[in-house]
Amino acid sequence: MSDGFRLGLFTTIVRPEEKAILGAAGARGIPVVRLDDSDVIFGLDAPSATADVVLNRSVSHTRALYAARCFAHYGTPTVNPPDVIEVAGDKVLASLRLAEHGIPTPRTEIALSPEAALKAVERIGYPAVLKPAVGSWGRLMAKVGSAEEAEQIVEHKTALASPVHAVFYVQEFVPKPDRDLRVFVVGDRVVAAMVRRSSGWRTNAARGATTEPLAPSAELEELAHRAAAAMGGGVLAVDVMESPRGLVVHEVNPTPEFKALNAATGADIAGAIVDHCVEVGRR
Amino acid sequence: MTECPECAASVESHEKILGEVFACPECGTELEVLGTDPFAVQPAPKEAEDWGE
Repeated sequence: MSDGFRLGLFTTIVRPEEKAILGAAGARGIPVVRLDDSDVIFGLDAPSATADVVLNRSVSHTRALYAARCFAHYGTPTVNPPDVIEVAGDKVLASLRLAEHGIPTPRTEIALSPEAALKAVERIGYPAVLKPAVGSWGRLMAKVGSAEEAEQIVEHKTALASPVHAVFYVQEFVPKPDRDLRVFVVGDRVVAAMVRRSSGWRTNAARGATTEPLAPSAELEELAHRAAAAMGGGVLAVDVMESPRGLVVHEVNPTPEFKALNAATGADIAGAIVDHCVEVGRR
Repeated sequence: MTECPECAASVESHEKILGEVFACPECGTELEVLGTDPFAVQPAPKEAEDWGE
């Protein structure tokens, strides 16, 4: 590609995923403008365009969201768009959105005070799961087995300084097999899917879950497409659990990692992401 | 080649790129490539509460 098209890559750190994206852009002859989320400064007036499209790979939800809003202000499209980052990156907003679209998701209650959180846990029943509204990799998630545990965990969360923990996201514990399913959607295409298996209740690859490729059923593909579309579409990893009442979507990740998925399936996920960015940048 | 800021072990640049995060082969500290020419590293940023996918 030699028509001056440039891909912006907005990052916090460079992991194998970002290296793969740089490699895929290089293979397509697309120059990449590296944008470090700890260096950028945004003014109110539009600068001369630094890139035709910016791919967000910042791992910070806060930085990603404000940066995407700034790029949108300058008229530079981002992958994903700011509204998608905002909703999918916040479990409260994502659950509301899934419910609005009639997509099956675990029973969830949101409380804004410790007292209300304890009542919400009682309403959900035991075991319940308490999750931070923002964050991934199973970090600071708690499985609550009794009222006593709920009191202790809510007390601990209340002691944490971050306002993230002032919102209590309470979810039913879904009795599922020792695995969950991840479907990676890019634009209108499912590019890969995998099973994540763990003996623990958290099946995050970051927590050592093992992965294997999955040929998604038509039902799973359709559900993943619906969940991705509900968020606004783009590059999204849809996490699905097999509950006793059928498939339920518990998360849609707007800045998904794909090293494990890549290793499990061999799919060219970085290439698909770069191709999608080009499509968005040329619209 | 440079030194790990934590344990002073020699760290090779190999084909590392700007911003790349890797573990020091001696002490396991996560390091971030600060520059490639000359090769320089610093401790990688610590995971923050809003970090995720």
